Amino acid sequence: MGAIEDRIKELGYTLPDGAAPLANYVPAVYVESVGLAYTSGHVPRDTDGGFITGKLGGDTSVEEGYAAARSVALGLLGSLKGVLGDLDRINRVVKLLCMVNCTPDFTKHPAVANGASDLLVELLGDNGLHARSAVGVAGLPSNVCVEIEMIVEVSA
Amino acid sequence: MGTVDKKLEELGIALPPPDSPIANYVPAVRTGNLLFLAGAGPAPGSDGAVPRGKLGDDFSIDEGYQAARSVGLIQLTRLKVALGDLDRIERFVKLLTMVNSTADFTEQPAVANGCSDLLVEIFGDKGRHARSAVGMSNLPGGIPVEIEMIVEVSD
Repeated sequence: MGAIEDRIKELGYTLPDGAAPLANYVPAVYVESVGLAYTSGHVPRDTDGGFITGKLGGDTSVEEGYAAARSVALGLLGSLKGVLGDLDRINRVVKLLCMVNCTPDFTKHPAVANGASDLLVELLGDNGLHARSAVGVAGLPSNVCVEIEMIVEVSA
Repeated sequence: MGTVDKKLEELGIALPPPDSPIANYVPAVRTGNLLFLAGAGPAPGSDGAVPRGKLGDDFSIDEGYQAARSVGLIQLTRLKVALGDLDRIERFVKLLTMVNSTADFTEQPAVANGCSDLLVEIFGDKGRHARSAVGMSNLPGGIPVEIEMIVEVSD
């Protein structure tokens, strides 16, 4: 087990298995020629594997959104493990796009996105610091409350 | 004729004519081996009109699927213009599929499949990409779907 996985365990988190998309796409693509891996948008899951649904500004609180975003970050790492074999190959988290399912008047998207950003820094330290956009969207698949995609730099 | 062009002919797929952005941006930018394509909407239909509509309201999932497929064809045209030869495509890396949705519409993936299925139909495993599918409160000109792409290309 690599250092990052040790750290996940030490902090009491569980790395989920890589996502299995239901159609003609894959959880992540590693582009060896540029040393970057691009993930699909990942969605939050509870401990039973069910989707965490809801709309921020409506039936979901910022705290619930934060926890959901943290679960998405673990899911992203789970998928990257599936593609890269070893999470220690991640040199740097480059960029996150955090899309929050919210009402038109909700404005605290960054407070939700922090759930993912905080976890990545907690696990990867400075290598987990990334550029980020956090935005509100009108709706998400299966009414999940947040969807996040990520770009990471990978060593060969 | 290249392998991809032959496949398109075999499938009876004709690419739409090239479009050109109407402001200070370009359809495609290459950096290293990656090509970034600007977001595109569906091509005009046989009546010459660009499809407009919102999923969850006046646009059905099947219409959305077809619109997403049409966006895929526009992006292939842009790739052909940028690369000269579609055989230079190594891999479709990433799609961001933005679906014009009402607040309660939740089947964005079923719409996004229109483009994803097209890419796999034509390119096989090279067409299999990472993807996000999300609902937007509106899109330019009221189009039902907009898709941006990152593609790995050969020298």
